Amino acid sequence: MILKKIKQRAFSNILDSITTLIIISFIIISLTTILKWIFFSANWSVVKINLPLFFFGSFPKDQLWRPGLWMSLIAILSFATLLAPRWKWVPKFLPILWISFAPLGIFLLGGGLGLSPVESRNWGGLTLTILLTSFSAILSLPLGIVLALGRQSELPVIRKASSLYIDTMRSVPLIAVLFFGQLLIPLFLPIGLEINRVYRAIIAFTLFVSAYLAEDIRGGLQSVPKTQREAGEVLGLHPLQITCLIILPQALRVALPSLTNQAVGLLQNTSLMAILGLVELLGIGRSILANPEFIGRYIEVYVWLAALYWVVCTLMALIARHLEKQMALEKRG
Amino acid sequence: MRRIFTGILTFSMLLTGCVNSSVGIQSRLELIKKRDSLICGVSGKIPGFSFLNSNGNYEGLDVDICKAFAAAFVGNSKKVQFRPLTAAERFTAIRTGEIDLLSRNTTFNLSRDSSKGNSLIFAPVVFHDGQGLMVKTSSKINKLEDLAKRSICVGSGTTTEQNINDAFEAKSLPYIPIKYQDLNQVVAGYLQGRCSAMTSDRSQLAAARSGFRNPKDHIILNDVLSKEPLAPASAGGDQLLSDAMRWVVFALFTAEEKGITQANINQQLQLAKNNPQMKPLRRFLGIEGDLGEKIGLPNDFVVKIIASTGNYGEIYNRHLGPNSKVPIPRGLNEIYNQGGLHFAPPFN
Repeated sequence: MILKKIKQRAFSNILDSITTLIIISFIIISLTTILKWIFFSANWSVVKINLPLFFFGSFPKDQLWRPGLWMSLIAILSFATLLAPRWKWVPKFLPILWISFAPLGIFLLGGGLGLSPVESRNWGGLTLTILLTSFSAILSLPLGIVLALGRQSELPVIRKASSLYIDTMRSVPLIAVLFFGQLLIPLFLPIGLEINRVYRAIIAFTLFVSAYLAEDIRGGLQSVPKTQREAGEVLGLHPLQITCLIILPQALRVALPSLTNQAVGLLQNTSLMAILGLVELLGIGRSILANPEFIGRYIEVYVWLAALYWVVCTLMALIARHLEKQMALEKRG
Repeated sequence: MRRIFTGILTFSMLLTGCVNSSVGIQSRLELIKKRDSLICGVSGKIPGFSFLNSNGNYEGLDVDICKAFAAAFVGNSKKVQFRPLTAAERFTAIRTGEIDLLSRNTTFNLSRDSSKGNSLIFAPVVFHDGQGLMVKTSSKINKLEDLAKRSICVGSGTTTEQNINDAFEAKSLPYIPIKYQDLNQVVAGYLQGRCSAMTSDRSQLAAARSGFRNPKDHIILNDVLSKEPLAPASAGGDQLLSDAMRWVVFALFTAEEKGITQANINQQLQLAKNNPQMKPLRRFLGIEGDLGEKIGLPNDFVVKIIASTGNYGEIYNRHLGPNSKVPIPRGLNEIYNQGGLHFAPPFN
């Protein structure tokens, strides 16, 4: 039965057979070379020895439990979101937990309130990558919503200002914004006032990403029919109530796939900070490659980094898809 | 509209004015002492000079120079915080006071030194880099002249390319340049045997070589085609800090010249204490006179430096010596009486 189907699908005529054979042999050859390299030729000691560096950067040894705790909380939270939608209380608490985990990260990494302070120059690796992503995402979502609403506002000043901001940010490359954040902001500030480099990066990312988010949300807003607003007005709701309770939930649901897209893009864009001297995941990889003991292990380190990025991004995509499904269910129910 | 623009301009000028005027109020050295730790800008990505080891600590020649500064300024070589910086960031970081000083493979040149340029003050050169040539040991090539009519792999459109051309033209020798886009391709071309030699900065050649399968099969020739003096630097207009930095580096050189090492520093100290007639040694180690005080440091700053990092030769050998992972022949980096360029004025 299966054989018949395969024959019918892949070997129905000579051309098909040849193509199938070529593709199969290509797959086999590349798979064997890759697997052979992974298991026999590659020397993974560079990854094994530096594992704590890849995850936590040069965080003080005796305080490693702090980024460790934070990362495991994120992992638990991710799996809780994915696997446990049945209990009623879970969906209620999850959004709060998700929003609070970025400030929690700053607290756990930076110290204060009983924890010994750790300078941000010691933050690094995957922890810093996730911190940059989550903080920028959480800050840029409300800013993006405000900008999107502003762009549709009836007041010309607000509308023009929002459009100007969005268009300016979208016509400047991200790397230029990041350079601005890292090199020019400190020059403008008076000498005593110093904004930490990590916060500067978060500000730059937030300013940039919010412009894109605003456009995605605007797309969602436009998909909500005008009649919805009119219906709200007829019911005697305040314009703010109409926006928050009727328009935005529908708009965000429509915009969710592209918002996910932005979030994944943001995570990958944080690797640009390696050019600007932050030792996030890519930066720590490059620092480790400068260690004379591991010179020339480029391929191992970059393959490992790619795998880490893949895992994190896939997890994000899965969570987003889960969220979409749930929202669709809510809509139906 | 125009008024707004002028307003913005004046405002930003005011702000930058604040930045410039508030630099000179207090010496950075006082600030370092008050903070009880030194913030040192390093690259963090250069083998042998500064890199992250597996324990998450920075290591290398530039890093040890920072440790020497910390030992002299705050009395403990461990009280130093390293901030990894890229080439683009380094001057902003020093101008804004994000770091106290820079120890990051920075080439000392006129425009960086001048007040109308980057307005830095450079400490003495700690590493004389320069463009070099690497060949296979089996090729029996020993000097530049042996490369006549041979092919040389070089990165295109760089000063490297220009320098090699100038060097051969000066000796009116013919050679065949094989050009590549970047250093990794140059290395690959050389390893595949496309050329008899490859050229780049000597420190980069050494780093590339340590990644080869058989590093011993390749040698770096003694010919140096360009000047790349790498020196630590601090912000301009702060004489107290720059004097202190200058004499810390000189102390490292002088200690090597006098044969004072990490191992024998205590012996030397005893020797100087017991022999009042050994004036120069007593002054150098701070038993007599007030040389340290004059530059805002404790009188025994030399003892603290040598006890924690060793002298210049020891630092060099630890990271770039023949038994290290990135061996670079000392050449110009010897002390002056060994034929190198490192020379310290007297401690008087």
